[in-house]
Parts: sequence; C-alpha cells; structure tokens
Amino acid sequence: MDKAYSITAAELAARGFSGLPDELSSAKHMIYSSPATLDYNSPGAKGFGVKRAGLAIPGSVMLLVAPGCCGRNTALLNELGYSERFFYLMLDDTDIVTGRYLKKIPQACAELLGECETPPSAVVICITCVDALLGTDMERVCRSCEDRTGVPTVPAYMYALTREKRLPPMALVRRSVYSLLKPQKRIPAACNLLGFFSALEDGCEIYDLLRSAGIRTVGEIGRCQTFADYQALSKANFNLVLNAESRYAAQDMQERLGIPYIELTRLYRPEKIRNQYRLLGQAIGAALDDAAYYDAVQAKITQFREQFGALRIAVGECLNADSFELALALTEFGCTVPEIYGTVGERNFVFIKKLAEVSPETRIYSNLSPTMLAYERGCALDAVIGNDAVYYHKDLPGIGFQEEAQPFGYRGVMLLLDKLGAAMTERA
Amino acid sequence: MSRLLTHLSPLAPDDSGACGVFYELGGITVICDAGGCAGNVCGFDEPRWHEKRSALFSAGLRDMDAILGRDILLVEKLAKITEQIPAEFTAIVGTPVPAVIATDYQALRRMAEKKTGLPCITVETDGTRGYDFGEMLAYSRLFRTFAAEQLPVQSGRLGVIGATPLNTGLTRADGIISALQSEGWESVVCFGMDSGLDALRRASECAHLLVISPSGLKAAEYLHETFGTPNSAGYPVLPEDVTAAAQALSGGRVLIVHQQFAANALRDRMTDCAVNCGTWFMQDERYTQPGDIRLRDEAEFGALVQQYDVVIADRMLRRAAPQFEGVWIDFPHYAVSGSAQW
Repeated sequence: MDKAYSITAAELAARGFSGLPDELSSAKHMIYSSPATLDYNSPGAKGFGVKRAGLAIPGSVMLLVAPGCCGRNTALLNELGYSERFFYLMLDDTDIVTGRYLKKIPQACAELLGECETPPSAVVICITCVDALLGTDMERVCRSCEDRTGVPTVPAYMYALTREKRLPPMALVRRSVYSLLKPQKRIPAACNLLGFFSALEDGCEIYDLLRSAGIRTVGEIGRCQTFADYQALSKANFNLVLNAESRYAAQDMQERLGIPYIELTRLYRPEKIRNQYRLLGQAIGAALDDAAYYDAVQAKITQFREQFGALRIAVGECLNADSFELALALTEFGCTVPEIYGTVGERNFVFIKKLAEVSPETRIYSNLSPTMLAYERGCALDAVIGNDAVYYHKDLPGIGFQEEAQPFGYRGVMLLLDKLGAAMTERA
Repeated sequence: MSRLLTHLSPLAPDDSGACGVFYELGGITVICDAGGCAGNVCGFDEPRWHEKRSALFSAGLRDMDAILGRDILLVEKLAKITEQIPAEFTAIVGTPVPAVIATDYQALRRMAEKKTGLPCITVETDGTRGYDFGEMLAYSRLFRTFAAEQLPVQSGRLGVIGATPLNTGLTRADGIISALQSEGWESVVCFGMDSGLDALRRASECAHLLVISPSGLKAAEYLHETFGTPNSAGYPVLPEDVTAAAQALSGGRVLIVHQQFAANALRDRMTDCAVNCGTWFMQDERYTQPGDIRLRDEAEFGALVQQYDVVIADRMLRRAAPQFEGVWIDFPHYAVSGSAQW
C-alpha cells in the first residue's frame, strides 16, 4: 500500500449510495483508529461519548458495569472534573459468560451511594458489548436498584457493536438522559433545544428569534445547573431537535410527556439557514425576522473572500458540522475544497450529490480506512478545518472548530469565518 | 464489594498489554472488538500511537457478526488488509466480545494462516485481566513461533524482555540500552521496542536475557529451555528523582507499589528503611520477600497503606488512600495512570 484510498465527489455521486466503495464502508474493512480521529473509536475519551453524555443529568453519578478494558480511558474525563462521578463494577471472566454480576448491581449501587458526599440525583448504569450479547434487561435491573436505594436509576447503553444500527448508542443515551422527566403542566411560552449535551453558543440568533415569537424560556440540558432545572424541561410546549440523533429522545418525550417536536438541521449555507427559519416560523405560527442576521453573514462572507481570496481548504469530520454540508457551503463562499476526510452515510449523501455538481474533483477519504496509514497530502491547500484535518496538516493554518459551545445558524457561520480568518492572519 | 471501584479507574487490561508487545514487530495486529477496545488501546494505553506508526486495527465487529459467529468475515477482512499492507505475521487479540461468544481461537488462527499465508498469533485476552497477562501471552507465543533457530551466541549481547510503555513509561529504548551498556554490555536489544521481528528471531544469539517485568518470565524460560540462554530479573531505568527521594529516606516503614521488578529494583537501592513491595499485577514467588503483597482491591489498599510511613507509588493510587497522612512519593506507572493527567 503506497497511497490512501480516495474517490472524487463526481465518481462517488455517480456510483450512488448503494454503490459505496468498500473502503468507505466501515463494515467491509478493518477499522483504523487514526490518531486524527481517536474520539470516534474511543467513546469515553473525547467530547461527549456515552459515558460523559450519561452524566448530563445534573447531580447524577455513573456506575460502569463492564470488564476493566471498557472503562480504562474514562480517567481522561477526570481532567474535565468528573472524577467524583464515576464508579466501576469490574467484571471477571466468569461474570461475562454467566451474567452472575447482574445480581450484584443493586448492592454496588447501595455501596457507591455511601461514598457520595451529597446524595446524587440519579444513578446512570452504563453497560457495554457484554450485555449487548447477553441480552441483559437493564431496565429491570435499574428498577431493582431503585427499589433498593430509592434513587432514580437509568441505563446507558454503550453498545459499540450496534453503532450502525437504527438506534445507535448516542441516540439511546439521549433518550436515557431525558427519561427522568415527569409529565407536568406545560407552559406555552417555553421550548427546549435538544441535540447537544452542551449549550448553543451564547450569541446564537435562535434565542432572539424565539423570543421575538413570544418564547420566553428556552431550555437546554447543557444549561441545567440543578436537578430542578432539569425537571423544568418537561414544562416545554415544544422541542426543537437540532441533531437527528435526538429524534428518538424527542419521540419518547412526545409519547410520555405530550411534547411535540420540530426538527432543524445544523447548516452553514445562509440560504438554507434562512429557509429553515422560515419553515420554523410557519410551524410555530410566527414570522421570524432574520434579515439582519442574514445580511450580516452575507457581508461577512464577502469580507472574508476579499481578505483571503479563494482559499483551498481541506475539511475533516472531527468538528461541529457535517463535513460534506460544510464543504458545500465553503464552495458556495468562493473557496475550493480539494479534500474531505469524512464518513459517508445515507443522511449526508444528498450533500455529496450537490458537491459533485459544484466541485466534482473534491477527493473524499475515510478516516477509518486502514489505507489512511499511508495518507500524504497530494494537493495544494491553504487551510484546514476540523481536528483530524489539523492533525494531518500540522504545517497549515487550521481550526479544530469542535468547541463545546455549539455553533448553530448564522452565528455558526460567523464563528467559523472569524476563527478561520484569525488562524490565517496569525499564520501569515 | 471487592470488584467495586469507588476511587480508582480501571488499570491497564490484558488486551492493551498484548498490543503493546506486538506494536513494533512489523505485523498486522487486529483487536477483535467493535471499536471501543481499540480506542482504549490507541488513545490511552499506547503512547507510541502518536509517535510510531503501527498496523494496529479494530476488527469493527457488529452485533450480528458476533451473534452469528461470522469468523470468516473477520478472516476475509484480514486477508484484504494483508494485500494492502506488507506484514510478516498477523496477530488477533481477544476482547470481551469473543470471550462471550466463546470464539475458537485455534480455528481462527488456522483459517487466517490458510487464507493469508502468514503466521498468525492469537491471544485469548478478554479485557478482564491485567496488562501483564496479555504481555505474557504475547511474548511467549512470539518467541515460540519465531525464535526457533539456534544461532551462534554473541558474548556481549544482552536481550531485554518486557520493555513496553506499560511497564516502563518509555516509548524508546535508548535509555534502557545506554543504562545497560554502561554496565558493560556491548550490544543490547529490547525486544519489541526500537527493534523488529528479525531481532526477535535471532534471540538465541543473546548471551544473557534481562527480564524487566514478570510478564517476560515465561518467554525467558522458553529461551532457556530451548537454547540454554541464562536470564535474570532487573529494572535498569528507575526514574532518578524517585530513586533520589527513596534513598534520602531514613528509618520508618516504606511501601513501594509498581510492577514487581521495578519495585524490587527500587528496594535494592534503599538501605535504611523496612521496605515491602506491593503490586496490582503478577507477583512471582521467586522474587518476593517476606511481607510483599499482591494487591487485589481498593479497600484493602486503603487499609494497608495505613501501616506505612511512606508510600512510593503512582499518584493515581493516592485517591484510594484518603486517610493516609504519611509521605507519598510519586512513582509513575503507565499501566496505572496511563495518559491521564492528575
């Protein structure tokens, strides 16, 4: 092997999603844990994997019930202040073939509560591939724990084996973290933003737009400081789903709490953002006036283009965007995107088709392909976006664009161009 | 409850240990998992991942692969990758998934060898044991598979078994080599660290073997039985600051916690204290002294340290000893704290 596998957007679009080459399909090759993308294969290591996400419930603690190897890297989360919130029930080889440990979990919960300085609001029991294979009924185990301790107990399924299923672990954990909400009287002027475990960036225009439509309270789990704040989320009149992985949680809230939901998508093309806000306004029965934000972002794009010219930018996948939609947006801004390191799925194939029309020569790589061991830059680039792209091209100006405060809407575009401009200026 | 950790994070597991041994030997190593175990190895237990390239992959198993026992799919993926990446052998490292479904590793090995034409080493780790167990299996099977030829012995050549980041915290062998050359050895090879499969094949050239962790003992015994190569235990790369702090102690009871041979080496440098060595990992009776302890759980450790004036151990362990009021000297052990910052 002397070269990393890649395919142009035009070739890929012509093949269609059903003709995806094996090298872009993770089920058909070994998976390379590229140093650029370790957070993909390491659910507890970076960002919000299942373990950290499960602790989004304020005041909760987690009991990881698994062989030692599953919890090994959780120590990395200690650096983020989680050291007092993780507990482990270690399984031995007899446990994992007999399932005898299930009877020990309520006792383990009782013991860990004795170690907590303040009583936790909830215990999240995180289970792994072992229980996926054993078919454990963890809901039942959680009920036993709750009977024993009196503390609400919910499961979190860190089933790496089911990552490509209809309900992958990150969708299931979203349902888990909202599952402790109880029905209560809803407030017409309140809504929730679902999708991320941290809050949207403070300057996002969606807050102003919702306020202009009469929404006085916007709930987000990432802003809940206490369990009472969390419980107040069930007063919302509707949910806005900003990430499709929250759809299952939203459906569950609709069924249990009667809260309907509207789905939006994180986009970086101003026209599409504008269209999405228009549709949102129609759905909630209010005209959302986003003209000022739209004009400002168009001015920003013009100014960026004038200052830096038609940049050649590589786009990765470890960032707060869909790689292909972002590449499409950059192309519309007047930049070119010679390379994308991303994971092609049914959901984002629509962007690849569009990209094939406006930038057919863009080459698409898969970070997970073993051939990426041999990746070397094969084209001229001026800048990169995404932590993986930064890793591959350390000599170029670049931004990770993967901060915890989530970019969204026009504000996301502004932040992107501000950060990229700053990186370009600094390197110059 | 003995297997409940309320203060510590899990220690390095057996699959990480096996991968660390294979890492630099030029093979294709496949972790038989869904992706998470490979992430733990590459992202936490293997500091060389960001320094030295290695063909280390996840099998990317999915639930139906495991439930239906689709070993043939794994072998096909393996064969495909051997066409893309030149390799001298393949290795399959076990995790909890094959343990639950009782994968037949012997059959897997035979299928892989037949399909790829390369020697295949399987290691039936299951993620529940310590890293040293995985290292022991990997070293033992590597030497049995590849060190088969009796070569002329080179009188000044020393072979080192056990040089892995998990044992030493080191990612390069130069510190070990220079320390041993200063003791008079002309040529030193650290098997699996800054050396490849060829050096391992030529293990019988060594006049002596230094085993720096109990995980290397079984392989050393094989080489002794097969080629008559003598061996000894030792640890030539004690951190200078830890050694100085330990040697400055006078009187009192001291507990050293590390892998057995590192702890023993530090004890040997101390003269004025009553020292016991403890370890969370393998403890070979031939190298223990009265009062040495094999640690098994957090509560036991927390109670044990109360009997000592000084504890020399990785600072992560301090969390399990909240009542301890004596002196704590940090003696980092990568298999304990890994990449975490404390």
